[in-house]
Amino acid sequence: MNISRREFLGYSALTLSTLALSPGAFAKNPLSFERLMEFKPYGNLTLVFISDFHGHLKPMYFAEPMNLLAPEPLKGTPGYLAGRDFLNFYNIKPGSVEAYTGSCLSFIKLAKLYGMTGGGPQVATVIKTIVRERGKDKCLVLDGGDTWATSGIAVKTDGMAIVDWLNYVGFDYMVAHWDITVGKDKFLDIVKNKLKAKFLSYNITEEPFGDLVFPPYDVVERGGVKVGIIGSSFPFTPLANPRVYTEGWSFGVRPDELQKYVKELREKHKVDLVILLSHDGLPLDIALMKLVKGIDIVISGHTHDITPLPVKVGDTLIVSPGSHGKFVGRMDLDVRGGKLQGYRLKLIPVLSEVVPEDKGAKELVKKWYAPHEKELNTVIGNAKTLLYKRDTVFSTWDRLIGEALADYYHGVDAVMSLDVGTSPGFRWGTTVLPGQKIRVEHVYDVLGMTYPEVFVMKRKGRELLTLWEDVADNVFNPNPLYQQGGDMSRIYGVEYELKINAKQGERIRNVRIKGKPIEMDKEYVVAVYGGPPPMGIKPEKKNIREIVIDYIKKKGDIKVDRRPNLKVLDHPYNTDCYWR
Amino acid sequence: MDRRTFIALSAVAVMGLTLAPTLQPAFGSTPRLEEELQKRLGVRLAQIKEVGEVKLTAPTIAESGANVPITVESDIPIDRVEHLWVFVDKNPVPWIADVKLTPMNGQVYFSTRIKMGETSNVRAILKLKDGSYVMATKEVKVTAGGCG
Repeated sequence: MNISRREFLGYSALTLSTLALSPGAFAKNPLSFERLMEFKPYGNLTLVFISDFHGHLKPMYFAEPMNLLAPEPLKGTPGYLAGRDFLNFYNIKPGSVEAYTGSCLSFIKLAKLYGMTGGGPQVATVIKTIVRERGKDKCLVLDGGDTWATSGIAVKTDGMAIVDWLNYVGFDYMVAHWDITVGKDKFLDIVKNKLKAKFLSYNITEEPFGDLVFPPYDVVERGGVKVGIIGSSFPFTPLANPRVYTEGWSFGVRPDELQKYVKELREKHKVDLVILLSHDGLPLDIALMKLVKGIDIVISGHTHDITPLPVKVGDTLIVSPGSHGKFVGRMDLDVRGGKLQGYRLKLIPVLSEVVPEDKGAKELVKKWYAPHEKELNTVIGNAKTLLYKRDTVFSTWDRLIGEALADYYHGVDAVMSLDVGTSPGFRWGTTVLPGQKIRVEHVYDVLGMTYPEVFVMKRKGRELLTLWEDVADNVFNPNPLYQQGGDMSRIYGVEYELKINAKQGERIRNVRIKGKPIEMDKEYVVAVYGGPPPMGIKPEKKNIREIVIDYIKKKGDIKVDRRPNLKVLDHPYNTDCYWR
Repeated sequence: MDRRTFIALSAVAVMGLTLAPTLQPAFGSTPRLEEELQKRLGVRLAQIKEVGEVKLTAPTIAESGANVPITVESDIPIDRVEHLWVFVDKNPVPWIADVKLTPMNGQVYFSTRIKMGETSNVRAILKLKDGSYVMATKEVKVTAGGCG
């Protein structure tokens, strides 16, 4: 196989050797659009892809995690490479554009140098440029899901602003996860009547008989290559999100069925190449490809991982193109004689100030934003601390949300003083730099669920512990087939120790609630949001976005204690990568 | 296996089937798996061989513990098989199903939905005509949630 590693490294070497200089030394961004796009065309077929766009039609900052805590057997493998580990694994130079977009290292400094990433018009330019250069008949444009949900404009337009953008750019295929949370009927209406891309999912079936809800695969010819493409939506959607959005549907990881479709494509349809477009998450796809044979390429979404080089499992190549519009993946393939002969891959970093905006996409974004611009742009505070979301166990955004919840309940009712506030470990969100103004849109970017209700309830110490252990097992199970693909819940008001490699039920230790050791039979007042609604409890009057917006407004200058509320016992835990 | 075959075969399997009333409330003493095995099969777990010829399909993570789809299949010729049991180790009553198989079944195939109280191993055990026992085991996780 023709490996593009050399070229990839060459490209890295071209980038800055000037990290030592202060960012102010640069009058403007040190990179050009041409440099970002540099790619020597190869073979006869090109895959162009994004995943986990999360509704971000406008440029943003998104800091990669300081920590991706791994259970022992998975340590040091793609999916668990943060900061310097990521740079070392892929041989990336600190300070380069790849380092800025792919790791946490010196994020604050580099963000000032390279600027924001993503944006609908910018991503459109990159995709359209590739397709134009290569020829439409040789390209497949793919989206890995989590596309039209979880942002301000997504919530305000029921996802339609992003659907419009997908149609404009010309995507061919997609799969889903959060996209379904616009509501099942709306989702079906979009997929059947509004979306031009074909929606594929082999793993969504009707209960109880198992009829497929969507086509599991499609066969398409591009560049003289007969391609079979299978779709896999997020296997644990019914558990991760309220059941109402998937009522009557069953999901899951189904290796046997997947193998059956691969066989069908190879034997019945005689395809030259089999692609799996997946929202399984990288660790799960790596595990799954050890069970399923005959898939050439997996485009893997959900866990937001960035793979500058494909992960090889047997003959299968797995690529994960990051999230939030930060990268457009380009993979040129040489397919001859019914076989993949070679490939060349690049994840093109979308630096918003460097990539020119596509005119049509810009118009489209402007049109959809117009009615909401004023509200979303309202300034509500000043960030004095870096506000980030992504990390396996803790973030400053989540601490801020916890503070807001606690403040809200102390203020409203002296009797009902909050003991614990839990924030879900979503992998999506946004980053606000110190010194940046916090706008309403930022709050949507972190809390853009279609179900923002807050629930307050009483729970015994032992019930809380069971619940947290449960979530910890979904995150830290050493077998990726038993992980759910999210990060650990952030638990405000609680301090604890975490032993990742302990058995289920023994990972969380020395829990202290409001400074005192947890009592198993004591009832605590707990506020939750963002998960399946607890049974028999009515939501609070204010939703989580309103609570957080009000709190930020009240405080004005937002300083957040960035020391984590837990101690990780059996894994290094980085706390200053962004600030270096 | 398509839907039609599934239904046809299920119908055949149902003839020899007694389904346990799943998830009975656990009164005081909870019978453990070993006790159940001793009572119903007369063997200990250690005497049952885990083999590749028995295939148990179940989700890794259940969408709902109240409704977990499982399928048991085997390449072992039906005339060599006598009986099939399904157990869930950690259920208050681990015994789930008890299926008598005859050559009329055509093949070893049994599909149903079970209840699970918590994360546990699910076991499909076959008794062969020669008196030996073989099984397949799969862990199914029952979770309260977590988030994407």
